Amino acid sequence: MFPWVYEFRWTTGHLLFLGIFFSVLLTIGLTVVRAAWKTYRDFQDQKQEHLSWKADFEDLSPLARSCRHEISGKVRRRSCPNEFDCRVCANHRVTAGRLPSAGPPARRGADAGFCGLDVPLDRLYHRGHTWVKEEREGVYLIGLDDFASRLIGPPDQVDLPAPGTRLQANGKGWRMRRQSTIVRILSPLDGEVIGQGGAQQGWYLKVRADSRGNKMDHLLRGEEVRSWVLRELERLQMALATDGVGMSLADGGELVYDVTLQDPHADWDSVLGEMFLQA
Amino acid sequence: MIEQTLPRLPVESAPAHTIRDWKAMEKKWIPRGLPRCSPGRFYAWLAPWLLLLAIGAYAMYLCFAEGLQHTNMDNRFAFGLWIYLDLTVIALGAGAFFTGFLFYILRWKEMTAVINAAVVLGFICYSSAIAILLVDIGQPLRAWFTFWHPNVHSMLTEVTFCLSCYLTVLAIEYLPVLLKNRKLRQVPLFLVFEYELHRVMPVLAGVGTFLSFFHQGSLGGLYGVLHGRPFAFREALGIWPTTFFLFILSAAAAGPSFVLLMARLTQFLSRKQLVRAEVFAQLGKVSGTLLLFYVLLKTLDTMLWINRIYPQTGFSPYSFYAEPSFGTWVLLLEIIGLGLVPALFLVNPRMREKPWVLTLMAFLACSGVAFNRFVMTVQTLALPTLPFDRFLRYVPSWQEVAAFLAVLAYGVLLYSFSFRYATLFPQERDLRNQ
Repeated sequence: MFPWVYEFRWTTGHLLFLGIFFSVLLTIGLTVVRAAWKTYRDFQDQKQEHLSWKADFEDLSPLARSCRHEISGKVRRRSCPNEFDCRVCANHRVTAGRLPSAGPPARRGADAGFCGLDVPLDRLYHRGHTWVKEEREGVYLIGLDDFASRLIGPPDQVDLPAPGTRLQANGKGWRMRRQSTIVRILSPLDGEVIGQGGAQQGWYLKVRADSRGNKMDHLLRGEEVRSWVLRELERLQMALATDGVGMSLADGGELVYDVTLQDPHADWDSVLGEMFLQA
Repeated sequence: MIEQTLPRLPVESAPAHTIRDWKAMEKKWIPRGLPRCSPGRFYAWLAPWLLLLAIGAYAMYLCFAEGLQHTNMDNRFAFGLWIYLDLTVIALGAGAFFTGFLFYILRWKEMTAVINAAVVLGFICYSSAIAILLVDIGQPLRAWFTFWHPNVHSMLTEVTFCLSCYLTVLAIEYLPVLLKNRKLRQVPLFLVFEYELHRVMPVLAGVGTFLSFFHQGSLGGLYGVLHGRPFAFREALGIWPTTFFLFILSAAAAGPSFVLLMARLTQFLSRKQLVRAEVFAQLGKVSGTLLLFYVLLKTLDTMLWINRIYPQTGFSPYSFYAEPSFGTWVLLLEIIGLGLVPALFLVNPRMREKPWVLTLMAFLACSGVAFNRFVMTVQTLALPTLPFDRFLRYVPSWQEVAAFLAVLAYGVLLYSFSFRYATLFPQERDLRNQ
């Protein structure tokens, strides 16, 4: 094994065989050490939220990973390769550049109702069912959209981040529990929490966005929000479909408040996980 | 918006006190959106395997405590059921390295549907092989001698080194599958480490391929260098006998079939579709193509053996098939029935479209490689090599059989736990929704 061990020979056979063996061991060891070192660095750079989201994103269903431009019918078929961060997406820049500018969010008007849901277009929407509304320069309110509110119903527990907590876009925003299911709500932007609200205030978090957080390209706006809501209703139907039957045609109607109560036998843990992009 | 107060409550749930609480807690370990049977049913399924494992553990204890006289092996018949088992599981476990090679090195994205299952199967196969080898060597406390004082001219040394290294690689590859468990992934450290491990996986897949190439080959090579046993002895290509290459090729051919077979079996037992039909067809095609190539080379090798090596020993070409237990049917069954037939079916696209044909042919391909390892191990040792030798009979003792079954039980248990608590088949969720 080693020159100082009994029966070691300085022959080509020994040196070749042991050389290959030690090289393999070294490669395996260095590979694991590298992974451990990178993990340490990721924590130092506070990338854990981002990487957790990446890992979750990989496990989402293909329908949940669809590109926003596919949902709004602007491209034929595209799966998001950037974990819903359109700020780094070259395709988004090209596709959005070909289209008329979305412009700033519209003012809240009488057209807020859509498919029985309250979907005001005076704010931006995140794929994880939160909205973002600018309160004043650099300060944003973040709330749960109507679809999500109706889906979860009255939460049994809400775990909001304390003021001063830093949020990362697509990282954990806050957690809610309904019955035995804990749902992680994704943060729609990067910034620092400066206030907490609640359903009674109509918002959950007040966040001071940092320079990157001020870029809102990754959030849905305008007419594409409605296409997305339609897609989400379709996804919900699919998630609630009986095994072996698949999605069935709906006979109309609106999403009621506290859907979980309407079908207590459904696997809500799985449905909520699917709808809130949680693996 | 919802209109009620939102108290902040402790997040941690209360400890389980009742069976219902325990069931709810157990459900939190099962991947979201993947329905599994009730815990009661699951543990009822495990019970007989646990019993087999316990009996096997006792048999192994006897061998450790009192020696190998509990087996029916002796100095003349030194390889028995255990070595046969080792060779077979290592050949079938090649599905892990070959699927990893296709996925990480050749970038066949379709293989993502089975890569986790292949890794778990590989880990089970190789850890089983190492476990049974520790019993088989009789002196497990001296197992480290082979590392410390290696005989670099021995095929078995190469096998030992490669197996140990590859089992380490498989354990590292298995780790991300475990760390992605629903409960464990809530620990950020685990999820980030899983992510980083995933990024270095191509390196490990490359190392695994290299190691598998050599240990599969050396397992074949160790028979090919047996000059005193013309039934197994082969001429060399370079420094390696032809069996070196035949073992690599047969393992690479059977590996994808084994992954296919196990995925189909899991589908059958769980009554769920886990993998798309195209992926099964792809595995069948790879397996069939390699098997066809193997059958061709095996036939050539057999012809050369009959016409060159046999005559040189002074025996008649068919003298080794004179015993009623091992007639020429053995050769025909191995090459045609369990080689050529499944290969031809698997390379035919129309046949691959039929699920039962695909499954049956994958089963035949796996049986073929298992049969080949049986012939190389048991038939080789049973046949006489000297004029005064007689045909040897070997029947394994109950301890050998119990240890064999314990390894099988261990595999079933680990695979069952992995299927329940990890995501072995990533397409399962999508297929459920379709």
